[in-house]
Amino acid sequence: MRAFEVVAARDSRHAVALLAEHAPSVKVLAGGTDLLVELKSSSHVPAVIIDISRARDLKTIAITDEGLSIGALVTHAEIMRSPIIGEMFPALVDAAHTIGAVQTRNLGTLGGNLVTGVPSMDSGPTLIALDARITIVGPAGRRQMPLAEFFLGPRKTVLKPDELLAEVVIPKENLGKPTQFLKFGLRRGQALALVNVAASLWVERGQVCVRPRIALGAVAPTVIRALKAEAYLEGRTITPEAMAEAGRISVGEAKPITDFRASAEYRRDLIAVLTKRALEGAYARALAKPVEA
Amino acid sequence: MANVTVNVNGETRTASVPPETTLLALLRDSFNLTGAKLGCDVGDCGACTVLVDGAAVNACLMLAVQADGRDVLTIEGLATMDRLHPIQKAFEDHGALQCGFCGPGVILSAKALLDESPDPTSQQIRDALAGNLCRCTGYTKMIAAIQFAARALRGEPVDKPA
Ligand SMILES: Cc1cc2nc3c(=O)[nH]c(=O)nc-3n(C[C@H](O)[C@H](O)[C@H](O)COP(=O)(O)OP(=O)(O)OC[C@H]3O[C@@H](n4cnc5c(N)ncnc54)[C@H](O)[C@@H]3O)c2cc1C
Repeated sequence: MRAFEVVAARDSRHAVALLAEHAPSVKVLAGGTDLLVELKSSSHVPAVIIDISRARDLKTIAITDEGLSIGALVTHAEIMRSPIIGEMFPALVDAAHTIGAVQTRNLGTLGGNLVTGVPSMDSGPTLIALDARITIVGPAGRRQMPLAEFFLGPRKTVLKPDELLAEVVIPKENLGKPTQFLKFGLRRGQALALVNVAASLWVERGQVCVRPRIALGAVAPTVIRALKAEAYLEGRTITPEAMAEAGRISVGEAKPITDFRASAEYRRDLIAVLTKRALEGAYARALAKPVEA
Repeated sequence: MANVTVNVNGETRTASVPPETTLLALLRDSFNLTGAKLGCDVGDCGACTVLVDGAAVNACLMLAVQADGRDVLTIEGLATMDRLHPIQKAFEDHGALQCGFCGPGVILSAKALLDESPDPTSQQIRDALAGNLCRCTGYTKMIAAIQFAARALRGEPVDKPA
């Protein structure tokens, strides 16, 4: 690796100050599972790396007035072990479990996964299907926005170089919302998604679908919502046919590409099947643990 | 240069290294602990797996300064002069390694698993080894060896494999 300086940040406020102090050739390091891989093969490395891996204030998982807050530095392994997340959102645990392997999940953080911004990121779909919002901190203070608006394109986000992603918040009204995440990779471990999908929904009167959300990864420049499929399901009686139809509609909303992992055609088939199964899974969770919306 | 102090295999050790030094380079080049291997250098193969504060990580993807003040366990910290660790013994008895390059990483992944789940299912063992690539022996004997070691570590009677 090319030479750089490393400065450790005590907390998020300190990190923001350090980013300003060392601008413009500066970058944040969390778990390093994306950044170090990138720096090893790059001829342009920042002069200074701000190590935020010990910033305790970014590591909390808590229910607040706004909803469920997950700090940007929470690792995928910590998501898998969190009793609160396991109880409210088993889909987030499932999604974390599909990332890399044990070693990657012990270092890799939720924030790093989102900021890297690759279309196949496995934390994105579930959070977007739960209308998650994010908090960004910077020299001008805090700002919040829907996670879905954070992504601009492959590896591009709205984050400015002097800002930190601080937390992800699943809004209060969605706590416990039945959700399912499914990933299709070429192997069970150490494989990026060919397609990943999350679906969430509330069920009223035992069978009516309310506020469905479908989020698709690895099939467009960013994680996307399948808005037409959601509109089709809204207020509709949930049947196997309706879920299959929503899967078919979702295909038309994605723009999958052909690469060395799979053809666009294969990915389109996967979208239909995985969307249907994710809806079935969310519906099964809704029936197993009825909560009226 | 950055000063790094790590508790390695129960011993406090210090080195002064360039800040971009990985934990793997610190262990191998400064501390002469060459059990953790440099394989792919990008987190795919797991040959560099060590335990930091008990958790398995790829030492190639952690900076040495990030391990400052923490406990690191490498394969050199498992056996004593007169006794192999029960996981190492089980691997030997089962012929679970051929070339051995992946061995230190695999055994440390197994240790992290057994520390947390003393009685793992074979699926849990597979999940724990998903980040450790073996290209010669294969995984069947490793899984058997880990199940065997788990019984030994739980204090249950074990027969030497045939
Ligand atoms: C072997 C291997 C397998 C993998 N498998 C998968 C997989 O299956 N699915 C998947 O989705 N990903 C996978 N990844 C990618 C990676 O592990 C994840 O994206 C991880 O969550 C990144 O987090 P990190 O903390 O390691 O990020 P880092 O590498 O520390 O940082 C990544 C980027 O985000 C920035 N950053 C990090 N945190 C913040 C913050 N709080 N505020 C502002 N900027 C920040 C950094 O500056 C950097 O640009 C894999 C990686 C490896 C090495």
